[in-house]
Amino acid sequence: MHKLIETNGLTYYYRKGTRDEVKALDSVNMAVYKGEMLSITGQNGSGKSTLARHFNALLKPGQGSILIKGLSTANKDSISEIRKIIGMVFQNPDNQLVSSIVEEDIAFGPENLGLPQAEIIDRVDWALETLNLEDLRREPPHNLSEGQKQQVAIAGVLAMKPECIVLDEPTAHLDPRGRREVMESAIRLNREEGITIVLLTHFMSEVVHCDRMLVMEGGAIKMEGSPEKVFRQSAEIKSAGLDFPVASQVAEGLRREGFKIKPDIVRTEELIDCLCQLKS
Amino acid sequence: MELTKNITLGVYLPGKSSIHNLDPRTKIITATIMIVLLLISRSYAAFALSALFVGFLITLSGVPAGYAMRGLKPMLPVLAIMWVFQLFLFKAPDTTIYFHWWIFEATAAGLHMGNLIILRVLFLFTVTTFLTLTTSVVSLTDGLESLLKPLRAIGIPSQELVMTLVIALRFVLILAEELEKIIKAQMARGVAFDRGNFIQKTRKIFPVFLPLFIGAFKRAEELIVAMDARSYTGGKGRTKMKTLHMGRVDLEAAAAMIVYGGLLIYIIIFTEPMI
Repeated sequence: MHKLIETNGLTYYYRKGTRDEVKALDSVNMAVYKGEMLSITGQNGSGKSTLARHFNALLKPGQGSILIKGLSTANKDSISEIRKIIGMVFQNPDNQLVSSIVEEDIAFGPENLGLPQAEIIDRVDWALETLNLEDLRREPPHNLSEGQKQQVAIAGVLAMKPECIVLDEPTAHLDPRGRREVMESAIRLNREEGITIVLLTHFMSEVVHCDRMLVMEGGAIKMEGSPEKVFRQSAEIKSAGLDFPVASQVAEGLRREGFKIKPDIVRTEELIDCLCQLKS
Repeated sequence: MELTKNITLGVYLPGKSSIHNLDPRTKIITATIMIVLLLISRSYAAFALSALFVGFLITLSGVPAGYAMRGLKPMLPVLAIMWVFQLFLFKAPDTTIYFHWWIFEATAAGLHMGNLIILRVLFLFTVTTFLTLTTSVVSLTDGLESLLKPLRAIGIPSQELVMTLVIALRFVLILAEELEKIIKAQMARGVAFDRGNFIQKTRKIFPVFLPLFIGAFKRAEELIVAMDARSYTGGKGRTKMKTLHMGRVDLEAAAAMIVYGGLLIYIIIFTEPMI
């Protein structure tokens, strides 16, 4: 598959050269493939946010390199091009919305790109429609729920028509309903619009919807593969301080009780299917 | 504790009147002209004419007059004090003295000066409140941006300044909410904001503002990163989703403004000033 993002020995220090120097990334080699939905998990301080901030040149590599569609983030001239390819959504929606009206905020990115007026209007309409936000277009953000605000933030990035959207713990501040809505949007953007999604998250219930996952620990990538493959390595998962998805926990419990449950169950739907077959 | 209840300055009341439909640039320019005219008005006749004109505008806009005035309430004590100060302390030669006590003299000149100042404050407040009541923040800033654009030529980053204003306006409510949260959190830990004398009360304010400021800076930093990620590089090379258009109502407004302005200037020149 075609590589959208590729890092090579990517290393990054915070406060380099001082006594408080922290090595946040330790020669990371990874890739994001076009069209996939990738999740990156790991405890706080594992380096996942630092890594994500390299994806659209918010941070520059200390050592090593990162290429976005062959463009290096170290090259100043390619930064605007890179930011057109990679969009980014952050944790707190209140701190990323700029305007006091939803549609104006969504227009902010396209306006920055200097697009013609008609094109901006088209893109704003399209982004609102894709995320089912048409009813909110004239609302001020403070009238919206946290989940809706985060949807607006995603729409604002979507309107820039990026090939890849990086979501940095987008659901951390949300209630279960908001979390579900944001997740559904992310999945839909990936499946229907073909946008590559990189999802940074603590929630295993979100990880299982991704095609591939990375587990980070101490600034390095510890595990990599499909959720099925990664959650098979239970000892490593525990040592990385992660949970198991509910479905695999239930499956494991049932297996211990002597039920015949097929291996590698991570998604709730799979578990349900399996249980239904068990009954018949 | 409701911090946002009595603020009418900066609040927008959506509507469909011809005042609402004016181009924001028209409204900003006329409001500015009105403010200048009010600042040079010195006679009761001039204020009477302005009162008529403002009353006409408010009726036309359909904004409840009581609502437009609500924000004045917290200012009334200050206005009263100002009026009393002027009455007793403004000195002018050859003026009628109403009464005299120790070093204080209530004079006719003082009375008129007090009235003048109160009338000016009232009108300034009403005009600016009326502007924001009938104009959304977004169109206000759009208008401002368009009006200030020529300043770019002399090196003033007008678009960036307006963007700063846009963001500041968005964060007013967020910070007000945060302030409320901090106050409640401290009340929950036993701080009694309503007890103690003036100095004790004032001292309790500092531990409230410190977290507020730290929070605001944190938000600002996150916002910068988010704007950066959305390709913001300043006003240069930016386009706008909405462009402003002047229409028939704007011509009518200009005509009304010329009639009012002409009359007012006539009155200012040819009537006796109150002081």
